[in-house]
Amino acid sequence: MKTRKTLAAALAVLLLTVGLLAGCSPSGKSTNGEGASAPSNEGGSAPTGGTSGAVKLDIIETGNNLPTPDKDYIKEALDKALGTDLNLTVYASADDYKNQLNVRLASGNSPDLFQVPDRASLKQFAQQGLLLDLTPYMEQLQPVKSFIGDESLKKTTIDGKIYAIPKAPNIPYNTYWIRKDWLDKLGLQPPQTIDEFLNVVKAFAEKDPDGNGKKDTIGLTGSKLSTFSPIFGAFGVGDPNTFYVKDGKLVNSLYDPAMKDALAFIKKLNDTGAVDPEIMANTGLQHQEKAIKGQAGIVWIDWPNMSKDQFTEQIKKVNPNADWIQLAPPKGPGGQYDGPFDIGGTSGIYAIPKALEKNKDKLQKVLDLLNYVSGKEGSMLVQYGIAGKHYNLEGDKVVPTDLMAKEGGFTWLYQFTGRPEMSYLQTKFAPQAKYIEFANSQPRIQILNGFLTNPDGFNPADATRFIEENLVQFIYGKAPLDGYDNFLKTLETSMNFKTYMDDSMKQLQDLGYGK
Amino acid sequence: MVKSLDDRIAGAVVIVILLLCGAVAVFPLLYVLSVSITPFSEVLKNGGFILIPRAVTFDAYNKLLTESNIPRAFGVTVIVTVVGTILNLAITGLMAYPLSRRQLPGRSLFLMMVVFTLLFSGGIIPTYLVVKSLGLLDSIWAMILPNLVWSFNVLIMKSFYESLPEELFESARMDGAGEFRILWQIVVPLSVPVTLTIGLFYAVGHWNEFFQAIMYVTDRTLFPLQVIVREILVQTQQPLENAENMTPTQTLQMASVIMASLPIIVIYPFLQKHFTKGMLLGSVKG
Repeated sequence: MKTRKTLAAALAVLLLTVGLLAGCSPSGKSTNGEGASAPSNEGGSAPTGGTSGAVKLDIIETGNNLPTPDKDYIKEALDKALGTDLNLTVYASADDYKNQLNVRLASGNSPDLFQVPDRASLKQFAQQGLLLDLTPYMEQLQPVKSFIGDESLKKTTIDGKIYAIPKAPNIPYNTYWIRKDWLDKLGLQPPQTIDEFLNVVKAFAEKDPDGNGKKDTIGLTGSKLSTFSPIFGAFGVGDPNTFYVKDGKLVNSLYDPAMKDALAFIKKLNDTGAVDPEIMANTGLQHQEKAIKGQAGIVWIDWPNMSKDQFTEQIKKVNPNADWIQLAPPKGPGGQYDGPFDIGGTSGIYAIPKALEKNKDKLQKVLDLLNYVSGKEGSMLVQYGIAGKHYNLEGDKVVPTDLMAKEGGFTWLYQFTGRPEMSYLQTKFAPQAKYIEFANSQPRIQILNGFLTNPDGFNPADATRFIEENLVQFIYGKAPLDGYDNFLKTLETSMNFKTYMDDSMKQLQDLGYGK
Repeated sequence: MVKSLDDRIAGAVVIVILLLCGAVAVFPLLYVLSVSITPFSEVLKNGGFILIPRAVTFDAYNKLLTESNIPRAFGVTVIVTVVGTILNLAITGLMAYPLSRRQLPGRSLFLMMVVFTLLFSGGIIPTYLVVKSLGLLDSIWAMILPNLVWSFNVLIMKSFYESLPEELFESARMDGAGEFRILWQIVVPLSVPVTLTIGLFYAVGHWNEFFQAIMYVTDRTLFPLQVIVREILVQTQQPLENAENMTPTQTLQMASVIMASLPIIVIYPFLQKHFTKGMLLGSVKG
């Protein structure tokens, strides 16, 4: 009896030990640098590359509304054209996406193509040796290069090497939107200067434009400090902490002498009490809701969120009289700019993991995929869907069918190298064409922040918060503007901002700006 | 029976307080339910705050059931919950029972190992590596096996088993029952309350699971309900990334919340009586 018990105990200990060891072994493996070759089902395509034909490609990015693979006609068409088996996974939450990406990169199970969250991550990943240096492959990626433009590659170059492919450039979407019916009711004209703007904002809040006898309206709403982008623009200043070339010289908006004047004017706007007191608290689309509800007369927002059918329908139902029009930026002492537009920005950066270097077949397929969606045929596919089904060609003109509106909401997930934005949007959003045109044609301050990589020892989140907190105090009169220079000094000394400034200036000058 | 005035006042006060507590609990649920069945324009007009629906429409539910991934995800979640919970209970019980027997050699060592995992865990990356090297990535098992046993539940079950009188086992042995017979015919039937309680813990855990799915599963057909619901909810909290993104209306969001939580709310009352018993026994005698 006694021996049996001891035996049982020994066995149990043995089992547990085995269990523990099994848990440890793979991490040991990956530090040896051979994690990528771990035999498991997801890597099954590696050895089969040549035999079964379809090469399985794992792609991850942020996005949503992707249908299941059986309804995914883009995947089907791409697989057919390239001999691949694409497995695209999208994550709606940026945090979930970062978790997944970090875990996979750290565990040697990288996806074959993935979206890099931002330039800071790009730099970090590149320094950790996780990304494939694409410079030697640029010859092969000629179609991609001509599709996105040579200039664009600056956005993903680090220390002279290209580590990722950015999407083709965007166009600006944001403008002020204003209630035309309210203007008419109060006998006002669309404001053309910042002083007229101030009057209209004030009138919207005080003169009961919705005629319900209650003082329940606000003049202007938006999300955070960007609400005032065109006001900054009217003083020739970019949004806080943006870099741009002014009079041939490279400046940061915080050091622009006109910044103080802009803040003083914004304070004047706030002092009327007609600006949404919650602008700093508005998250997501709360400012849009306030506008649709009929609470606000002017809102700083992008055209899709005001003019897409989904929203115009709601506006009509909630408030049939509402007549929203776009407003050209008001003129000020510094000119007339509808906020800033980041020419270094991109709506997505895609990188290939270094591990793929050893798997030539797969790498080739990824390059093929990038080239294909940048070429004529593939680009049409990921933009509009299948010819004859989702659109018809009349000469060179793409005529969407009803099916495109119904099924085509997700095709952008496959636009890894972007799209010719203007023609694309005007085709896909024909009813909104004039709004797109309007937003795109407004003068903007061209800012360069997208080209920047933060230097070590500079925490952008801390600095941004510090700047925001202080600017809010200035524009709400909680701190006198005399203290502005002091604020800059504190910023430089306590937030490592000086290093950031010097480093950023140097980076931009190296790219040829401000010379 | 005639109640004194004091009694009546006390009773009334208690009732008022309880009603208030009840209202606080019901309020958010009612809000979610009302918004989900009200036309969205109506919701907007009232500033997004609606307690009693002014007009009723099931458009949102209709849309979710026909146009979204929810029905499929629902299936995945049901499978994971049912299979997972059965396996959980079997393994947890089989682990807790020996640990509850004082004659088990090295019992305190094993107990320490169990408690150790309560305090320390490997972290995300090592766990991912284990799941990966076991070939579980992209399979439904990745949502079941990594959490097969929760240490805390083992401890609750162990305490319950310990509360069974020792004499019961002795008499069974004297009647010639073997260890397996004792377990199957005596212990299992006696531990229905704790099994159901722990089962509910596990089931709710599986039902709400989304982190493991996000980590280990990239195949969209295997996404469970919560991942899809989260997708619908998160979408409106972010600024527009692409002109084509459809922003789900608040109505749609609330409807998805209702669909995701209703099954558990429905099951709860049926298990509740066991719940108190199982939990109490577990905690007091621990």
